[in-house]
Amino acid sequence: MKAPQFSNRPPRWAQRLLAWLHPSETLEEVEGDLDELYTYWHRRAGKTEATMRYVLNVVSVLPPFVRRRQRKEAHQTPSNFHPAMLRSYFKIAFRHLIKNRVYSFINIGGLALGMACCLLISLYVYDELSYDRFNTHYEHIYRLVEKQQQPGGIYDVAATPGPLAATLTKDFPDVQQVTRVGRWSGLLSQGRRSVESNQMLVVDPGFFRMFSYRLLVGNPLTVFRAPDEVIFSEAMAERFFGANWRQQNVLGQSFKLNNEKMLMLVGVAENPPVQSHIEFDVLLPFKWLERNDEWSMKWNSNSYHTYVQLKPDPSGEPADPAAFADKVRHQLKRYDVGNETPLLLQPLSEIYLYSKFAFETDHGRRSDIAYIRIFVTVGLIVLLIAVINFINLATARASQRAREVGVRKSVGAQRGSLVTQFLGEALLMTVLAVAVSLALAQLLLPLFNDLANKNLEIPYPLPVFWLTLAGFTAFVSLLTGLYPAFFLSSFRPIRVLKVGVAGHFSNVKAGRGFRQTLVIGQFVLSIALAISTIVIYRQLSYMQNTKLGFDQSQLLYVRLKGDLRGKSQPLKREVEQLPGVEQVSTATSNLVNMNNSSKIEWEGQVPKDEFLITNMNVDADFVKTVGMSLAAGRNFSARITSDTLSTLGAYLINETAAKRMGWTPVSAVGKRVKFWGTDGTIVGVVKDFHFRPLHVGIEPFIFRFRPKEFYFTLLVKTKPGLVARTLTDITQVYKKIDPDHPISYGFVDQDLDAQYRSEQRIGRIILCFAILTILVSCLGLFGLTAFTAEQRTKEIGVRKVLGASVASIVALLSKDFLKLVLIALLIASPLAWYAMNYWLESFVYRIEMQWWIFALAAVLALGIALLTVSYQSVKAALMNPVKSLRSE
Amino acid sequence: MRRTYLGEFEEIVLLMVAILDGDAYGVTVSQEIEQHTGRQVTFGTVHNTLIRLEEKGFVTSLLGGSTAERGGRRKRLFKVTALGSRALQDIQQLRNELWQLLPPNTLKLGGS
Repeated sequence: MKAPQFSNRPPRWAQRLLAWLHPSETLEEVEGDLDELYTYWHRRAGKTEATMRYVLNVVSVLPPFVRRRQRKEAHQTPSNFHPAMLRSYFKIAFRHLIKNRVYSFINIGGLALGMACCLLISLYVYDELSYDRFNTHYEHIYRLVEKQQQPGGIYDVAATPGPLAATLTKDFPDVQQVTRVGRWSGLLSQGRRSVESNQMLVVDPGFFRMFSYRLLVGNPLTVFRAPDEVIFSEAMAERFFGANWRQQNVLGQSFKLNNEKMLMLVGVAENPPVQSHIEFDVLLPFKWLERNDEWSMKWNSNSYHTYVQLKPDPSGEPADPAAFADKVRHQLKRYDVGNETPLLLQPLSEIYLYSKFAFETDHGRRSDIAYIRIFVTVGLIVLLIAVINFINLATARASQRAREVGVRKSVGAQRGSLVTQFLGEALLMTVLAVAVSLALAQLLLPLFNDLANKNLEIPYPLPVFWLTLAGFTAFVSLLTGLYPAFFLSSFRPIRVLKVGVAGHFSNVKAGRGFRQTLVIGQFVLSIALAISTIVIYRQLSYMQNTKLGFDQSQLLYVRLKGDLRGKSQPLKREVEQLPGVEQVSTATSNLVNMNNSSKIEWEGQVPKDEFLITNMNVDADFVKTVGMSLAAGRNFSARITSDTLSTLGAYLINETAAKRMGWTPVSAVGKRVKFWGTDGTIVGVVKDFHFRPLHVGIEPFIFRFRPKEFYFTLLVKTKPGLVARTLTDITQVYKKIDPDHPISYGFVDQDLDAQYRSEQRIGRIILCFAILTILVSCLGLFGLTAFTAEQRTKEIGVRKVLGASVASIVALLSKDFLKLVLIALLIASPLAWYAMNYWLESFVYRIEMQWWIFALAAVLALGIALLTVSYQSVKAALMNPVKSLRSE
Repeated sequence: MRRTYLGEFEEIVLLMVAILDGDAYGVTVSQEIEQHTGRQVTFGTVHNTLIRLEEKGFVTSLLGGSTAERGGRRKRLFKVTALGSRALQDIQQLRNELWQLLPPNTLKLGGS
């Protein structure tokens, strides 16, 4: 700078202001131009004026007045999607994948596991939600259900009286059609061939018009006009006529039902689809039922399902069910005077998942929406954990990419292109993970089908499936890629390149906090699932081991059919003679989930004080056979004439019943009660026993001794170790006495277990997912420890040189992670406690949630975490410090 | 046909760039405008207008011609593009046509 020009210079502060605030794109030319102008003004008007004008003009080119020039000509940034750039991105991504094989495996494997789970769960949920959708009139069909006021509460009942259906079409123009569905059972025979139907339904002719069950043979418009007709399902036709029934002329053939009524086969229906809430193998016309069972035409015959199909509104949309529901609400009162029970509409779409009806009035295939909720929650948890892993590892590995980001930025990469690059990498990883997860899901499908009791397939040909998968991929890659993308692209090139990676990262505390939060989140979910699993299994084993008040082991039951029900004594006597049999009794139930309850009147009853009492008919050997014990009084006896009279009743009640009627067990003996119109005396009180699942408490129970009435079940107590032989013996005896019917038998303990099948399934599912979540969380933890150990290689080297022991270094590395797991435990415990408390509340008989459950989960989680962490930390601690310190 | 709108000041600046014929940059353009129209314009106005004209495609620019009096900094030299000269000609032609349509006495009466 030359001295004479110095005085001609514009003020420094204005120049600085300009350099500081003016856009960098045009700074050089504007500075030059203004300098030139200053010289010009200085020459023409002197220093003061020149300075003034300079300052004014500087202000005119400062923001917000100045227009920003778009940079384009000097160095054009190539598009992020330029082939060369894409190639570079791919190459770098693959190099990283291969260079860090372990991380790539953990990352992709963990994500794939999570996604495979999610995939299977979505398949399941989709399947469950699409029940009954095969019906063309799906949206127009409703079932009428009742809300009954009974002593003891309000009950939802899925059954309606037989005559209701006809009044609906007559009274309501909005009703397109109605059909009733009732249950029946029986043996079909033709000549010497006979087959027992498992699911016999009685339906109206409208059944085939309303629902989309197809007839393979027969005319759906004319069937069931006459009463003596029958329709088989495909499966039934195969059982009866063999696999080639299509070649035979089956229509018009006659069959005997229960060896008396003749029926003509008018059609063979396709097997009801798996996704149908109605199941049948034989259909009978309702007309037949009306002819043979007059009760079905009475208003108190509350045992049939009534379905209505509403007319669509003029635009073809489903009609508003609310309007119809209002009108139909008091339909029962209209015809059955005094019947205040309201009718409600249940849409077809809700029957499969939302049917919880009392008194076993609902039948057919059912599931529970609770399953779906549990599945979805658990699936999302697993996915969340996998995604957290991915984010965690990706941010942790970011240090390796810091140099690359620095170099890319200095050669002109902008933030946008870096974000694209890392999002693209996330996409690549996700696509790989999706591919692996598809393979994994295919592999795990049989196992899952077994677990969920389903027959699912991956719907490869469905475009929707691929679209969903693509959407899902995009979503997950965004989720997993966003944080790394923005985190990495925010590096300042100079710092990263000059100070070095370590220097840069020592400042990134935020990243570490973020990772720690995610690890805590993961372990909260895993530990909560682990605690839930323990609680569910404890409850299950509690239910299996609870003393029920009778001895269900080695207790066999044989169903009595047809004539045998009235004449069971010969069979009983013969079975008693068998060597492996200890005791035999005839009864009306097998003690599993008994529901048959009615009102009772008793001595000293206060008016309006009513309750329902569950009942069954037994014989004098019953108490001994099932191993119940008496609290007071005596057992029934065939030798006491007052016990066996048909006009007078002799009763045994349970302790709860005695208490309900205001007696002690001792005072109850000899009291008079009236049940089902028969006056009688209480001869004894049995100790309380569980006759319903442990979800509900013990209620009043009454045993009746009616030796001249029907018995439905033969209860056989076998001697230990002789069950198999006894079973064949009983079968032979049964065949001799009742050659018409095939024998049906079962074990009481197995049937009791089966009541908790849904709980067992939930337990198994949660167990699987708990293992999975812990596995995936540990995968992530493993990756993170490896990363920290690598980061601190030098530090460990120095510590070792200075005399640190291996143990202290392992402790140093493990401490941080164990702290996180401990925090997670503190958060997870109340969460799991709350959720499990809610679940346990559905059982009247339940376990207490003891502290050791949480302690066990804690020990488990800490142990697994410690194992995971220690592999890496021990490896790091054992490393030779010379190696780690040699190179700098 | 829709022309890109050219404001009054934009038109003057564009004309100046054309007049200066290859020697147009921030300093010369603002000096010429001051001399020929007598208007005091701030440098920022000229600077912004030139950028805007370039965005509209009427002028192009390149950096060059650093001199000692500007501290060795380069200047941005502007040139009218084909589109720019077309726009100027269009304006000229439109004006001419409109002048032709003017009744002979109107201007004298109104403008005297």
